[in-house]
Amino acid sequence: MAFFTGGLFWFIEGVLACLAVVAIKIWTQDRGIAMPWWKWLLTALWFCLAGFTLAMIGTSLGEGEPRAAVMGGVVFGVVTVVTGVAFWRVLGFSRAQPKTNDHA
Amino acid sequence: MPTDDAKQQVSRRQFLKFSGAAGAALGVGSMGLFGYQAGKDPSSYTGWKSFEGGDQTFDRARFETNSPTYEKVGDTSRIDARTEVVFSRMGYIFRSYKDETGIEGLPQHVQAYYKAHPEDLELDLYLVRELYALQREDDKKHGDAFILAQAWSDAMAAVQPPRISEPPEVADFPKTKGDRYHRGDPDSPYKMKSPQNTSKLIKKIAHQLGGTLVGIATLNPDWVYRYPTRGRGLDTDKPLEVPKHWQSAIVVGTPMSWDPMYANPNYGTSDDAYSIARIIGFRLAAFIRKLGYAARPHTPGFSYDVAVPPIMVDAGLGEQGRHGVVITPELGCNIRPTVVTTNLPLQPDKPIDFGVQSFCSTCKVCAEQCPSGAIPKGGKTVVRGYRRWQVHAAKCHNFWSSNLGNMGCRICVAVCPYTRKANWLHKTALQVTANDPTGVSHAALTKMQKLFYPGPNPPDYYIPSLGGKNASYREPPWWLRTEDFVEL
Repeated sequence: MAFFTGGLFWFIEGVLACLAVVAIKIWTQDRGIAMPWWKWLLTALWFCLAGFTLAMIGTSLGEGEPRAAVMGGVVFGVVTVVTGVAFWRVLGFSRAQPKTNDHA
Repeated sequence: MPTDDAKQQVSRRQFLKFSGAAGAALGVGSMGLFGYQAGKDPSSYTGWKSFEGGDQTFDRARFETNSPTYEKVGDTSRIDARTEVVFSRMGYIFRSYKDETGIEGLPQHVQAYYKAHPEDLELDLYLVRELYALQREDDKKHGDAFILAQAWSDAMAAVQPPRISEPPEVADFPKTKGDRYHRGDPDSPYKMKSPQNTSKLIKKIAHQLGGTLVGIATLNPDWVYRYPTRGRGLDTDKPLEVPKHWQSAIVVGTPMSWDPMYANPNYGTSDDAYSIARIIGFRLAAFIRKLGYAARPHTPGFSYDVAVPPIMVDAGLGEQGRHGVVITPELGCNIRPTVVTTNLPLQPDKPIDFGVQSFCSTCKVCAEQCPSGAIPKGGKTVVRGYRRWQVHAAKCHNFWSSNLGNMGCRICVAVCPYTRKANWLHKTALQVTANDPTGVSHAALTKMQKLFYPGPNPPDYYIPSLGGKNASYREPPWWLRTEDFVEL
């Protein structure tokens, strides 16, 4: 079985996802951003959307449908970027200022 | 001033932030590579990788209905296969039609058919008088480009079971003569423990024989031809009485090879799946007869005594689509079926409703891509007492008789949004459509289908003599590109 469709790949994806969660938690703490459950949910959904977009492009290329890859990339890519910017603002990531030494 | 501990904590937090960001980027980015491998994955070629039944994966139980998704609206009648099946009808034209006598020289029932369907007479005569000649001329000029596709088709068709030359009351039953292992009397078959148990066994055997999808139905007599076709051991001038031992119908389907199928009409072939289905049908019938029961295979292309699509619907394999082909969850309409009629006591499956009627009512991709205009763009009509979309068989036949490459067309099969390989993307789309009672996703996915997977301009599918470009829906796979292997 090819690596990227095998179980080990999804295990590594899980590890990377855990790392990302830790990083987001520390980053938001450092910037004084409150993270209630719905912000976590929106953040997770956005990462899923980004992953879906790339996987959709890759799958279309893999099965010999370059037009589907391009059109899918454009359609879902635009949705990903627009929702990314919207979520960034809605979640307050752009307004908060970095805190300094509050953990010291 | 931060202490050393604080500095260390800052450093650790920075490291976690950095590695987490890198992990997120890597995790999301590698989804593209996952997708690429999933798209190329041989395991997505449903039906061409497994003989263990592992491809019949759709959870049909959730979509079972007590009545099939076709609608009975009045008195029904059975098909007269001699005239309503285009291949049989054309046989009369080839054998008996002369310009001097016109249809008066044809048998009475054929005359009656053409009087009732004058457009079919016009189309059938256009085929023999003009289309075949144009096709031959174009084939001389352009046909060599498809020699590998034709070789693949011939290879798959090379092994054929024998034709059935005896009527059901003889051919279907076990024969003791010459079978030294036959321990029983054909009139006293082995007693099976239960119909449910036997159905489970028969499905396993059908899968082991290479069947991708298997279903069982109680045979509805409406699906048996009123008059039979030639070459089945039956008198075509006598109505076919439904034999008492045709109680159940086991239907087994196999797909055409996926990549050539997408390169229809020129590079695909029906013969790959036909050949496998034929052999499965004969083997399954032999298995049943060995148990002492009657069994008769009805196999593609022309060796049927029954109309297969409604049997597939009854057996829960799928639903009949706008293009007349049964759409299954696993294979879309890339399926070629064989049927075995039998008196083996079996537990029938239930029909399923996974949203095809709703999807097809708005999709129309097949109708828009069909170069011959044979697939209706409008609503359903009543045909022999059942409401359904009715394909114009003569228009369809004329197109696929005129193109180059392999015999047949199959564009409607290739362009159908359900006919997709089994990767995560298309499986997800299937689940969305099947579980959406509102139809909202149907419209969205149809739009995506047209935007993402467009086909050529339909007139381009025609041969150059008819104004076309010998276009195919998709490029052929590398192993059918004649120009890469053969000096032309």
